Amino acid sequence: MPEAEEEELNAAGESRCITGIDGLDRILNGGIPRGNTVLITGSCGTGKTTLSFEFLLHGAIHDENSLFISVTENWEKLLKNVIPYDFFDDSLLKSKKLIMIDLGAIYSKLGLEKAEFTMEDIDIIVRAIGDIVREWSIKRLVIDSITSICFQLKTKEKIRDFILSLGKNLSEAGCTCILVSEISPGEQSYSMYGVEEAIADGIVLMANLQRRGDLLRTLQVVKMRGTMHSRAKYVLDLTSVGVLLVPLLKGGSVPGGI
Amino acid sequence: MVIKVDDYLDAMRGTMDAFLLEKDLSAIYITSTIPSQSIKNVLTILEIEMSRIYFVDCISHIMMGTAVRSEHVSFVESPTMLENIMLKVEYLMRSIEGKKLVLLDSINSLAIHNNTKILSEFLHILVNNLRAKEAYTLILSVEEQSSEEISNMLGLVCDESLNFTETK
Repeated sequence: MPEAEEEELNAAGESRCITGIDGLDRILNGGIPRGNTVLITGSCGTGKTTLSFEFLLHGAIHDENSLFISVTENWEKLLKNVIPYDFFDDSLLKSKKLIMIDLGAIYSKLGLEKAEFTMEDIDIIVRAIGDIVREWSIKRLVIDSITSICFQLKTKEKIRDFILSLGKNLSEAGCTCILVSEISPGEQSYSMYGVEEAIADGIVLMANLQRRGDLLRTLQVVKMRGTMHSRAKYVLDLTSVGVLLVPLLKGGSVPGGI
Repeated sequence: MVIKVDDYLDAMRGTMDAFLLEKDLSAIYITSTIPSQSIKNVLTILEIEMSRIYFVDCISHIMMGTAVRSEHVSFVESPTMLENIMLKVEYLMRSIEGKKLVLLDSINSLAIHNNTKILSEFLHILVNNLRAKEAYTLILSVEEQSSEEISNMLGLVCDESLNFTETK
């Protein structure tokens, strides 16, 4: 077995996709089980895109082809707005280790520029994404955001079908996938349509926590199939050396509050 | 390290001499007492080399207007954001090469803004994390502003207690 693959096995011999985000890998007991589809969910400004992008960057740096599918904004604009990581290198884009695509470009190539998708359209989109993943031997994929795609699916049945087919397709290709999900601040569920969270293999909840007038960015792994993991809340910072995590201090908790 | 208010400047100079010069360390200076700019001014007067001193300033922001961006200074919005202090220290630990000293100035000013429970938890995590990274941690406690609770808290996390007046 090649050395690189050996390193990805945890103590139990399971294959892991090491996120490269130190604290998160520790929380996940070694990384995301390879082939999992993980929902990263949270309201605006909680760091979902930055965390997801860093996951891809570490993959690309370690020779795993990584793909970012941008749904809501042009990827070039997105690149300008993410934290300028010390370890980001333009050559990753040039060498296609890191591939950035706008979903709109895929839609127009497929002739799918419409307000609502049918079941057939869903099949076509899933197949197109699966084809790109196989063609470029993609090992890590981020779709930002799944909520925007679901908006065009309209019904829960279609959303379920889409995420299930996509997850299965990517898992078979050995690709670990992050679906970015947007929720409103104070939302009680983990996804906008209530379906995404039930189907995903993992849920990472990112939030803004108000404590005595201070606003903290937090991260909590709510669920992750295939691994033991911490379910505690952590505070994070988005820095040029990457996303940093420390435990949320509990001494300041108030009854009935946080 | 327990110091008297009047010994503050001597303690600062002594600390910098002992750790930065003699032990050749870089320093991460967490200030919750005096804005970093004021400390920089004092250090300049004391002719202490500043290129290897990095500040985590958690007091300037709440003093409205004293948080001027400058090199080697990271700001934390409030001394109540203890997790953010840990995050800034972690960031500097990763960014700065070589061995480091982390100086917390002071436990007494942090105790003004935080209750004992959360402050003990913060110290426990911070000190053990730094110990694991082989950094020196020095916590300043001002004798006149100390309390039994603070002494107990320090007793829990510190390997050694230095009384500056005695060691001078």
